Amino acid sequence: MPGLGTSFGRGAATNYQQDLAHSDCVLFMGSNMAEAHPVGFRWPMKAKEQGATLIHVDPRYTRMSAMCDLHVGIRAGSDIAFLGGLVNYVLTHDRWFKDYVVHYTNASCIVQEGFRDTEDLDGLFSGYHGDGRTGVYDARTGRWRLDCGEEGEAKEEKEDWSGGTPMYRMFHLGMHGHSLDSGAGSYRGKRRDMVTGTDAEAQKDTTLEHPRCVLQILKRHFARYTPEMVSEVCGCAPEELVRVAELLCENSGRERTSAVVYALGWTQHTTGVQMIRTAGILQLLLGNMGRPGGGIMAMRGHSTIQGSTDLATLYDVLPGYLPQPYAAEDHETLDSYIEQEGMATGYWSNFRKFVVSLLKAWYGDAATPENDFCFSWLPRVDDDYSQLPYFDRMSKGGVKGYFLFGQNPAGGAPNARLHRAGLRNLDWLVVLDWFEIESAVFWKDDPAAPPPAEIKTEVFFIPAAAAPEKEGSLTNTQRLLQWHDKALDPLGDSRSDAWFLYNFGKRLKQLYAGSTDPRDQPLLHLTWDYEYDHPQRLPDGSLSRIEGEPDLEKVLMEINGYRLDGKRLVSGFSELEDDGTTACGCWIYSGVFPEPGRNRARERKLGSSPIHPEWGWAWPHNRRVMYNRASADPEGRPWSERKKLIWWDAESRRWAGDDEPDFEPEKAPDYRPPQGAKGMSAIAGNQPFIMKPDGVGWLFAPGTVKDGPLPAHYEPVESPLGNLLYPRQPTNPAVRFFDGPLNRLAHTPTWDFPVVATTYRLTEHYLSGPMSRFNSWLNELQPEMFVELSPELAAEHGIVHGDWLTVETARTRIEARAMVTRRLRPLKVEGQVLHQIGLPFHWAFAGEVVGDNANDLTALVADPNVSMHEVKAFACRVRAGRREGPVPKPTKPPGHWPSREPVPDTPAAAQPEGRFGEND
Amino acid sequence: MIRERILEPFRRPPAPEPRPATGFYTDTTVCIGCKACEVACKQWNQLPADGFEWLGNSYDNTGELSATSWRHVKFIEQPAGDGFDLGRLLMMSDVCKHCVTAPCQQACPTGALIHNEFGDVYIQPDICNGCAYCIAACPFGVITRSTIDGHAHKCTLCYDRQRDGMVPACAQACPTASIQFGPIDELRERARRRVEELHGRGVSEAYLYGDAPGESYSALNSFYLLVDRPSVYGLPDRPVNPWLFMRGDYLRAFVAALVSIAVLLAAMLLGSGAA
Amino acid sequence: MSAELNIESAKAAATVGYAGRPVTKAPNWHGLVTLDILFNNLSAGLFLVAALGELVAPATFRPLAAVAYPIALLFLIADLVCLVLDLGDPLRFHHMLRVWKPSSPMSLGTWSLTAYALPLTLLTAVSLLPGIDWPRQIVLVVGLLPALGTAVYKGVLFSTTAQPGWSHARWLGGYFANSALLLGAVELLLLAMWMGQPTAAAVLRLASMLLLILNAVALALLLGELRGPLSQARGIRGFTVIGAVVLAGIIVPLVLLALGGPLAKVGAALLILLGAVVIRSEIVRLPHLLTQARAR
Ligand SMILES: Nc1nc2c(c(=O)[nH]1)N[C@H]1C(S)=C(S)[C@@H](COP(=O)(O)OP(=O)(O)OC[C@H]3O[C@@H](n4cnc5c(=O)[nH]c(N)nc54)[C@H](O)[C@@H]3O)O[C@H]1N2
Ligand SMILES: Nc1nc2c(c(=O)[nH]1)N[C@H]1C(S)=C(S)[C@@H](COP(=O)(O)OP(=O)(O)OC[C@H]3O[C@@H](n4cnc5c(=O)[nH]c(N)nc54)[C@H](O)[C@@H]3O)O[C@H]1N2
Ligand code: SF4
Ligand code: SF4
Ligand code: SF4
Ligand code: SF4
Ligand code: SF4
Ligand SMILES: [Mo]
Repeated sequence: MPGLGTSFGRGAATNYQQDLAHSDCVLFMGSNMAEAHPVGFRWPMKAKEQGATLIHVDPRYTRMSAMCDLHVGIRAGSDIAFLGGLVNYVLTHDRWFKDYVVHYTNASCIVQEGFRDTEDLDGLFSGYHGDGRTGVYDARTGRWRLDCGEEGEAKEEKEDWSGGTPMYRMFHLGMHGHSLDSGAGSYRGKRRDMVTGTDAEAQKDTTLEHPRCVLQILKRHFARYTPEMVSEVCGCAPEELVRVAELLCENSGRERTSAVVYALGWTQHTTGVQMIRTAGILQLLLGNMGRPGGGIMAMRGHSTIQGSTDLATLYDVLPGYLPQPYAAEDHETLDSYIEQEGMATGYWSNFRKFVVSLLKAWYGDAATPENDFCFSWLPRVDDDYSQLPYFDRMSKGGVKGYFLFGQNPAGGAPNARLHRAGLRNLDWLVVLDWFEIESAVFWKDDPAAPPPAEIKTEVFFIPAAAAPEKEGSLTNTQRLLQWHDKALDPLGDSRSDAWFLYNFGKRLKQLYAGSTDPRDQPLLHLTWDYEYDHPQRLPDGSLSRIEGEPDLEKVLMEINGYRLDGKRLVSGFSELEDDGTTACGCWIYSGVFPEPGRNRARERKLGSSPIHPEWGWAWPHNRRVMYNRASADPEGRPWSERKKLIWWDAESRRWAGDDEPDFEPEKAPDYRPPQGAKGMSAIAGNQPFIMKPDGVGWLFAPGTVKDGPLPAHYEPVESPLGNLLYPRQPTNPAVRFFDGPLNRLAHTPTWDFPVVATTYRLTEHYLSGPMSRFNSWLNELQPEMFVELSPELAAEHGIVHGDWLTVETARTRIEARAMVTRRLRPLKVEGQVLHQIGLPFHWAFAGEVVGDNANDLTALVADPNVSMHEVKAFACRVRAGRREGPVPKPTKPPGHWPSREPVPDTPAAAQPEGRFGEND
Repeated sequence: MIRERILEPFRRPPAPEPRPATGFYTDTTVCIGCKACEVACKQWNQLPADGFEWLGNSYDNTGELSATSWRHVKFIEQPAGDGFDLGRLLMMSDVCKHCVTAPCQQACPTGALIHNEFGDVYIQPDICNGCAYCIAACPFGVITRSTIDGHAHKCTLCYDRQRDGMVPACAQACPTASIQFGPIDELRERARRRVEELHGRGVSEAYLYGDAPGESYSALNSFYLLVDRPSVYGLPDRPVNPWLFMRGDYLRAFVAALVSIAVLLAAMLLGSGAA
Repeated sequence: MSAELNIESAKAAATVGYAGRPVTKAPNWHGLVTLDILFNNLSAGLFLVAALGELVAPATFRPLAAVAYPIALLFLIADLVCLVLDLGDPLRFHHMLRVWKPSSPMSLGTWSLTAYALPLTLLTAVSLLPGIDWPRQIVLVVGLLPALGTAVYKGVLFSTTAQPGWSHARWLGGYFANSALLLGAVELLLLAMWMGQPTAAAVLRLASMLLLILNAVALALLLGELRGPLSQARGIRGFTVIGAVVLAGIIVPLVLLALGGPLAKVGAALLILLGAVVIRSEIVRLPHLLTQARAR
């Protein structure tokens, strides 16, 4: 999540959900928390009970809007305009938190001479290479760097940007490892050079008057985001923007804090990262970061999606957000890699320790200082292997085989039709899942597919164990690891994913045993010893029936890290070394298993403070509010009694308070780094953002985001309207496209598709539906695919509530029930009436209830930073009636369930009431 | 077997000791419409699904309480003025009201319906014979006869869980404490404080429905905090206990019968006398 | 077209919600219950008229009564069959006898039926087995009260509900009670004619006419109470038609009875019976009609 990482240092939600109860105002924007995270939503409800104001800015009025004090309807995809309006309001009305901004942000830093803003270049920043539709930024030639008083770098460099060159691969395909503080940057060169020169420090003007200082650039940049302009772009009233701005300003400052909660309504755009960046800027200006009841809550999805990003399911990142090395000279050796990616100052200066410890964890004794700790064994990224480009390639026949674990791209992926075409092109496919999902039955049940005989893919379906049938930890949206025990053995042949992978790995090792081929060595030397010491037992004490299950606590211990002498577990990442004497599978999780028998993720103790530090364990180092040094003023005193969290205790000369300090515990507020200091000593006692090389929050991002150092509003790639803010630049200039007959686009502005569509979730269903559409208790609650539309739009097209309607995009068309509702309102945008519709994306062709799939309508496009698609805003048209062609049929009959069998070992009187007929 | 079937209903195990009355206080202003209560109820009680019919009444596809849906979350999209704009979206989780004087219980000819030791209205599933009188009697349209087993069913207020000291499944699942379970006196007090608090905050329309007996109806052990007229939520504005009229109706019926008999006798005496 | 649809869909979007929908649920009572009320009234009415006749004018009524009791028993059996079959779980019919709960009209009714069935069975036996004669009077008297209860409880059962229509009908019990006696008189009248008992027939003709007039009073009271619900279910015009039919249903048999010819009497009896069926069926359907009408 480079949106947050760039601004603050770590790409994860900054606070914890319970902390929302301490907010004075919560802005929900791009999140429908009450529906998608209903259990967590109790905390903002608590805040509301205590008098806080809840605001929901969303194209649709939802069940959450009903709970909020204020709902502002805006056009999908116009969030940067709205947020920019808020930033502009804060700046022009002088409502920013001066003490906070001056000390804790880079507002005073001076940007290099030669940097050109969107104001100067009609919607582009300097350093752009491309045709306006797609292209790349080079932050170095664009001179986005902070001015470090050096001249050497200023010379214009000639680069070869044509297809296939390293420049092209690195920039265009985005194959540059992600890291904790950001995604692939736009800065070609050493990361550290963005903020610090070889040795010099960035120049600052603490009066904030210098025309090239960040605050002045910010003011100029956002000046055009006036309430009137925002109203024209977003379709809300100018007063609504002012009202939201006022509420946020009133509820920020020393005494009060406001939080921002977002989710997919921001991320799933080609401008998503920059939407989050704008929120980061806003929260820094208001002084809400690192403070209780403040921060930015990224509401994440799948039960452990946070955990899987932490542990590197993405192709270009290693565990703990260490960038995956790429196939280029810079990353050839460990030293050059660290030179390139590491930082001289701030916490990242420990980079080498994390990488070496990781290599030791993976390759054990084989990793020695002499052989660079086997750094060369790490696979190098040579292309973009993220999901969208991968499936694009697959649909064009470029992929032979595929393992699919717990994912249903045939239903849930953008342009699912293209994804299914990809699956049909495979030779083989292994699906591990609980259900026979679309991605497993696409060859026989997809009503739009050719007959099964014409599909060559061989599908292997492996039944996967369900959550209660296996143990393990889940990392939730607030970085909290929670261990769950196994309650019972999996049914029949189903096995846990860990079982499958572990045994798969063992067989591969067997297969290659004895090989001396250098390329087989990484596999042969990979640490793979997670056998149970004692046979696994179930909670009732009986022996587990499953053989070969790995001991996941052993895996967690490896993740936690240990000293190699004597295999003593380390207590946290501060104990890690760069000389090969420690091993650690994921440095940010270090501390979760500090001593034998103490799995902190398994702890469930309620404490006296709202932090509850012994309820699970949060990374990093059990800090629940990240950057919490900012909860105290530069001198280390709480900003106010009401909002205190940690503070400098002069007596004990330590940081004290409820939360674990996200700071060196004994670094005094008045500490100032000596000239030329390196590592953490370069971070002053009043610089809370320790992951940043300069210790401050970044209002201006000198090169870590690929589409500009500051956010600018661009239209979605498919929008009926042009860009009113920057008319010459309709869409994000760095978007990537995937051309092909299955992925036609209606480029902005499109007059053929005048209606804006967005997709969303319902509380009653889960994602593409496998986990809900096989369950009749959920199906009865939302049995059919529908589309929400306003009475006005319905009237325009003769669409009747409850009847069928057809929605069509440049890709295809689908049918659904018409849900005519006042919850959707037409907007007045750029002087004309604009209609929006909302489509839940939970239906497809496998399950007990089936229907057309919203994702057959959506497109494959990729934002430049994280290859994110744009399923939250696209262009369509609607008409009354059904579409032509075959319709899906349920693949599972409605269950005779609950069964009428009596519950075993239960007396008749205690049988559930609903087992009708069993009482006789 | 047959003997058991015949005799069993006549056996009376000793009645359990009465316990402090429990019930529900449902604060509709904090309901987020997540339907967790509906699913929790189905799961705990192992109730089958009601079929997959899309009703299109806002988010509601349950439609009504039934023999197999003992909770029903209602969604009310209210217009703002005459135009097309939405005023507000009200949500409310409906359930049996566990009336302190319950017409269903008064109606039941088999004694299947009782007030259990917690003061909650409970159908003994092994007694009910599906006469459906309780259905006719309930002013809230709660109780329903099942097409599967022919017996009447409704919320048990998780009698089984209560007996084991557990909170009812729906209340347990409710993320926002819209459904609050507990001793009814405490709940009433809490609810009244909440109404005051809401009034203080400018929500002057907040009021309690069923927390106290009215002219024509008893208090409800499952009462509600509402912000609009009851009928907006599909509740009777003024519930009436049918038993208020029973004596009068008997009287009228007997009078009619006796007058008729008198006329008949007169005719007989007259007629046969004449003959 | 657009304007029209505009209104249409605006309405569609606005009609969501629950206001104006029926709150109560109509019980699962349909045709069998109509028959149940009818057989109940036919049986209790016949027994009451025959028994009262036998008590006040044994000479005139005794022969008729001896045939009437078995017939009343047959009606009662038919009634009980309807009642049991209408249960959700007929095999549990005997659960009704678990409790004595006079506060529930259905319980009271059940016990009335039970208490009525015994003497009636006995009387039937006695009537069919001539010779054993002595307990007759006692049994007759014992049977009177439960028979009266049987005739009375039904209407109260319906009016003691929350159903729209029924719950408005304060005089429903009165109507059914009177109607039972009317039906009893008419039944016995037919029996008298069939058995060639002119004296009894004459008495019963007079009684029927008087009861019919009372019946008109009861129906007028009932219609007055049900004006609202009925016009809601059937429309104002429908209600007017009902009123007219009821009026005709009183006047025509009255005139026919007054005319007094055998055909006229049979015609009158049949019309009264038909009227009873129609009115019962309409009453049973009322909450169903109303909940449908309001759901629309
Ligand atoms: N019940 C349920 N819960 C879930 C899931 C589920 O499928 N079902 N999925 C889980 C997962 S994987 C995730 S990632 C999370 C996602 O959680 P959310 O992101 O909260 O869920 P969404 O419904 O996709 O989108 C949120 C809101 O964004 C709005 N929106 C759409 N476009 C825009 C826009 O351009 N701007 C703004 N401001 N808002 C916009 C939508 O109208 C919607 O109300 O939920 C998780 N929780
Ligand atoms: N239009 C549109 N499209 C979207 C989104 C949107 O908002 N709009 N949201 C996107 C988002 S945020 C997400 S996260 C994706 C989600 O898309 P997917 O990741 O495809 O999610 P699911 O459809 O739930 O598929 C997950 C599968 O995992 C299986 N499963 C569950 N537990 C296990 C397990 O323990 N082991 C194994 N092997 N399998 C398991 C389930 O049965 C299910 O089939 O959808 C994306 N697609
Ligand atoms: S689905 Fe799971 S994670 Fe989501 S709210 Fe419910 S219990 Fe919590
Ligand atoms: S609401 Fe209806 S079913 Fe529930 S106790 Fe009251 S009368 Fe009985
Ligand atoms: S249906 Fe069952 S619970 Fe209802 S009144 Fe009849 S016997 Fe009692
Ligand atoms: S109390 Fe129990 S039975 Fe009643 S609605 Fe709640 S979960 Fe269902
Ligand atoms: S669980 Fe609670 S919040 Fe959710 S629908 Fe039910 S009452 Fe409302
Ligand atoms: Mo997600």
